Amino acid sequence: MTLTDDPAVDQAVARLSDEFAARLRPQVIGTVVRTCRRDLSGVPVTALPELVERLARTRLEAGV
Amino acid sequence: MGYVDVTGVRHTLPDGRVLLDEVSFRVGEGARAALVGENGAGKTTLLRIIGGDLVPEAGAVARSGGLGVMRQFIGSVRDGTTVQRFLVDVAPPAVRAAWEAVEAAELTLMETDDDAAQLAYADALAQWGDAGGYEAEVTWDAVTVAALGVPYERCKYRELSTLSGGEQKRLALEALLRGPDQVLLLDEPDNYLDVPGKRWLEQRLLETRKTVLFVSHDRELLARVADRVVTVEGGTAWVHGGGFASYPAAREARHERLAELRRRWEEEHQRLVDLVRTLQQQAANSPDMASRYRAAQTRLARFEAAGPPPDRPPEQRVAMRLRGGRTGVRAVVAEQLELAGLMRPFDLEVWYGDRVGVLGANGAGKSHLLRLLAGEGVVHTGSWRLGARVVPGLFAQTHAHPGWLDRTLVDLLWHGEPGRPGVDRGRAMAALRRYGLAASGDQVYGTLSGGQQARFQVLLLELSGATLLLLDEPTDNLDVLSAEALEAALAAFEGTVLAVTHDRWFARSFDRFLVFGSDGLVYESAEPVFDEARVARAR
Repeated sequence: MTLTDDPAVDQAVARLSDEFAARLRPQVIGTVVRTCRRDLSGVPVTALPELVERLARTRLEAGV
Repeated sequence: MGYVDVTGVRHTLPDGRVLLDEVSFRVGEGARAALVGENGAGKTTLLRIIGGDLVPEAGAVARSGGLGVMRQFIGSVRDGTTVQRFLVDVAPPAVRAAWEAVEAAELTLMETDDDAAQLAYADALAQWGDAGGYEAEVTWDAVTVAALGVPYERCKYRELSTLSGGEQKRLALEALLRGPDQVLLLDEPDNYLDVPGKRWLEQRLLETRKTVLFVSHDRELLARVADRVVTVEGGTAWVHGGGFASYPAAREARHERLAELRRRWEEEHQRLVDLVRTLQQQAANSPDMASRYRAAQTRLARFEAAGPPPDRPPEQRVAMRLRGGRTGVRAVVAEQLELAGLMRPFDLEVWYGDRVGVLGANGAGKSHLLRLLAGEGVVHTGSWRLGARVVPGLFAQTHAHPGWLDRTLVDLLWHGEPGRPGVDRGRAMAALRRYGLAASGDQVYGTLSGGQQARFQVLLLELSGATLLLLDEPTDNLDVLSAEALEAALAAFEGTVLAVTHDRWFARSFDRFLVFGSDGLVYESAEPVFDEARVARAR
């Protein structure tokens, strides 16, 4: 499974795109989320979606 | 599979006395070894050395397969520990460390929700997964279902103090038996368990393929489970390779062998000393003998330097002399007796010389019956009377004498009680010596160990000249050797005995049994009955 078809990444990108649509381009959001997913490698699968989304949101907010 | 290998372990107490020396034994794969010995002989210290809590002064402990420990206090946990915390504590160290890390990371995350804290939390979760935390949670669920009948998610925040002693023990045992550790150290796993609980424990220990080293005073449990017995006595330990049934004979044989070796050493020593003396005199007269004299001196010095073999360990001599006396043929007669609304009315006839075991559920009124017969005011209906010359003597459970706690033993003996004349210090000390209590004569009753308190109570029974012994769980706090001494004393006792007990081994020495059922029915049985359920009562 590559990072692009990881459900955790897809869900996070979809939700964060809605949230940050006014301020950021979707490509940026996708890149940030994928970086977060890479940084969180090793985390148990069940905890991944939540952790990826939280970390990505923190980083996006810091970057805006 | 795991094993424990103890070689040449030595431990010295803070006051300089050597508690254990040259302790060597091996508990091989899949063995179930019992660790026995008198109180204070060093059993718990040895377990702590094996468990790694204490570092031995000399020697080494080798083990493989991971070690799970159940400590003695489990069963009496009264602080705010939760079920979750408790299960974490008996889990392998890696899981425990990972759980601590997750807890800490969660706390940090609650305070500061920044990038670093999130990554730290993610890292802790990854560690938790790697350490087998998720598998452990699955096991814990099985454990709580088996021990408490509730899934883990529903009881993990429950406080341990809301569980009974037996439930705490079951929880710990299930966790250890289902856990990954292959070597289990169990310090008195049977405490707080009722007889069905003990049977369950026996079954589980027989089924498990793990290596088990356990401490217990329950002779029935020892006889059924242990396939070898490690004895701590005389400052060292030795192993009997068979079960508990052949243990007393093996122990006796070992003591005799030690005494024989010691005797031979002393004879040889005396012979060498005499030889040196003779040669000394001869050397004074003839210079030719001087070299033989010196040779004999060197030989003696070498012999003494090697030191004597260990002597046989001092016997714990408990000589109980319960005499009793001839009484009327009918010692106790009760008609339509009913106590404090606890049971249905029953009839009872006990004959002179009977040994009656009183069994049954907790809370069914067994102790009440003994107290009534001892002449204490217990609310009852129906009639009862004691036969001619029947003098009751009550042995109560150890905590039942609040008035004695801050008095010394000599003082208690000196003052006497109604029915028990006081004795002077000389006689008191002589009696205490026979019960192995001489050193504690001026100690306060409340500071004695459970076993010492029990022995002292038997001594009081002896002095009171009772002819009807009413014993409430007399073997509860006695070590194996004192319990055997009590049984021997009861066998020689001329009179009648009524005893409440859940000690299956002790119960075998009784002729008939009075069973208090959980439904309030009191009936007689020729065989011991131990599986009456606990009395259900609204709380």
